[in-house]
Amino acid sequence: MQTREEVFEQLKGLLGELFEIKPERVVPGAHLFKDLDIDSIDAIDLMMHLKELTGKKIQPETFKHVRTVQDVVDAVASLMTEESTK
Amino acid sequence: MAIRQKFPKLDRAWRKIATGYCFVLFGVCAIILSATLFPLLRLISRDAEAGRVRIQEAMRFVMAVFIGMMRVVGVISYELHGLERLNLVGRERGTLIVANHPSLIDVVFLVSLMREVDCIVKEALWRNPFLRWPVLWAGYIPNRSAEELVESCARNLHAGRSLLVFPEGTRTVPGQPLTMRRGAAQIALASRADILPITISCEPLMLAKTQAWHQAPHGPGHFVISVGEPIPASVYAPVGVAHSLAARAITRRMEEYFASSLKVLAGATPVATVQPALGSDPLGLTEDPSELEDAELSSP
Repeated sequence: MQTREEVFEQLKGLLGELFEIKPERVVPGAHLFKDLDIDSIDAIDLMMHLKELTGKKIQPETFKHVRTVQDVVDAVASLMTEESTK
Repeated sequence: MAIRQKFPKLDRAWRKIATGYCFVLFGVCAIILSATLFPLLRLISRDAEAGRVRIQEAMRFVMAVFIGMMRVVGVISYELHGLERLNLVGRERGTLIVANHPSLIDVVFLVSLMREVDCIVKEALWRNPFLRWPVLWAGYIPNRSAEELVESCARNLHAGRSLLVFPEGTRTVPGQPLTMRRGAAQIALASRADILPITISCEPLMLAKTQAWHQAPHGPGHFVISVGEPIPASVYAPVGVAHSLAARAITRRMEEYFASSLKVLAGATPVATVQPALGSDPLGLTEDPSELEDAELSSP
């Protein structure tokens, strides 16, 4: 079971690895598209890697409302909580 | 020409009128042809594919006539280089043609130079009651969601159809460095098509992003269109590099390529010393990584 902080750290690493985004730019309020230059095709890439990272299938609908780094962390964290309560 | 030098104001006034005339003529012809020639070509064709070929060839013809007319009325002059590299019809795989975009008439020029080429067309045209039909029958691709766009483009390229893309997505802002979006790179990665770069320079600049149609430059817009060497996927997308990183690297390299080839065309740098870098080491794998980091920190 991962804490939000752990998810955040892993996401930071992933964003650096996938999109060359420097860790200091990854703050909770960072807007994926406006601040971090992650476009819709990048988002698909990110979802695939999050799926591998978390071992969970990420529904495209979950990502529809994701706008900031915090949104991603929340979405991933809530998926993990779902699994552990089943 | 002597007349232009003797009567510069008159010459400029003439070109303002002539440009306006060309604009109106283009619009009127577009509507007339949409109601006559294009439906006719589609009707006489046995299927959509045959219709597409005919209509794309008609597009080429119409654009070529229009370019010729603009030259005759003194609005533009031009020189063309490397046209032999545009013999792309009948190949197994289509070529991804990328060009910079200084002026409004870039598309007119480029389509006039190619027998069959697909274009990406913005939504606004698809909603136009006259133009939506020729655009549909020509097999052009709507600019919808990024994912769908890349898929459609890759599919057509696999089928042997070449595609023209302006990676900047809009006209270059004069005075600002070239900024390219990753769409073209994504299409390249999805299709693994050859990339064929075409550099367009327009000096003096006309019909640019910040100019109104009636702001004629001091002389006719002189276009230099230079077709570069095709670059295969094995060079721009070596195996083993993460997809999103490759898209970013290709886009960066395209920006560098066009920036330096524009300098060459402007005569600022002799050809021998500037090597447009897209073909060699496109991902900068041999560059010192720490140098790259410094460069990124210093860019805005």
